[in-house]
Amino acid sequence: MRIVCPFCGERELGEFTYLGDAKSARPAAGASEDEVFDYVYMRDNVAGPMSEYWYHGGGCRAWLKVARNTLTHEISSVEPAAGVGAKQAAR
Amino acid sequence: MAEFSWIARSPLEKALVVGGYGARGTTAGVSLTEIRNFDLIQVMARRGKAAELAKAAETRFGVTAPNAPNAVRVPDATLIWSGPDQFLVLSKGGIHAMEKLSQAFSQSASLSDQSHARALISVSGGKARSMLAKLSSLDLHPAAFPAGTAAATAVDHTSINLWRGSDRPDGQAVFNLLVFATFAESLWHTMLDAAAEYSVEISHSEALA
Ligand SMILES: [Zn+2]
Repeated sequence: MRIVCPFCGERELGEFTYLGDAKSARPAAGASEDEVFDYVYMRDNVAGPMSEYWYHGGGCRAWLKVARNTLTHEISSVEPAAGVGAKQAAR
Repeated sequence: MAEFSWIARSPLEKALVVGGYGARGTTAGVSLTEIRNFDLIQVMARRGKAAELAKAAETRFGVTAPNAPNAVRVPDATLIWSGPDQFLVLSKGGIHAMEKLSQAFSQSASLSDQSHARALISVSGGKARSMLAKLSSLDLHPAAFPAGTAAATAVDHTSINLWRGSDRPDGQAVFNLLVFATFAESLWHTMLDAAAEYSVEISHSEALA
């Protein structure tokens, strides 16, 4: 599997580290214990298209948001994660 | 009280043995040269200050700092892209050392002195690309990686900043790589192993190519 880093271009999987689901959002302050438990521990085991965080640690060290089909490894989009410096991708 | 004397030493001081290595009886296919005693500053835009940094860099260096994987040469420095809104300044003799650049970029960027934190190795020769192909997954063919191209990448699981500088006088491509000092010896031995079959010429130099 290869990921096209929006900053570096196409790179091999070995340069990236997987974080996981990019959908889970931190609950608001004052959220119930169940909501926090869900956020910290519960994960969907998605079979199909999924939004994920990947870290380009062997390259530009940017966090990326990758849309990947977990059944086929087909990647439909890669974009810088929120907070990553440049708004404009290099390539 | 203990007296400390801080003397800059190369991380390859022990591993690097000047002369030939590997296959004999042929001209060296790979030249490995460690460049010593350089100034290297990491410049990273502060949050929301990318435009200010670009402006300050242009004022300081007279060129646009790289905002894509490239290395830009100016007469007294090389600016090497290292990621979004960040680049490395490689120079010599204190012209662009920390105290100089911290003034130039005080409003726009965070700086970190990497002068003694990295080793700089220059790889060239007729078999340089064949040797690097054993270690790197990047396409370094001139069509894909022309002079001035840079990459933040990993070779042998070691993070490096790689860029192609100006060609040697004999026309051979020169690949420069910056590696963390503590990984330099490991990478050096890996490159020697990869290059041995092509015959290696080993040297060190004070001059930035
Ligand atoms: Zn990248």
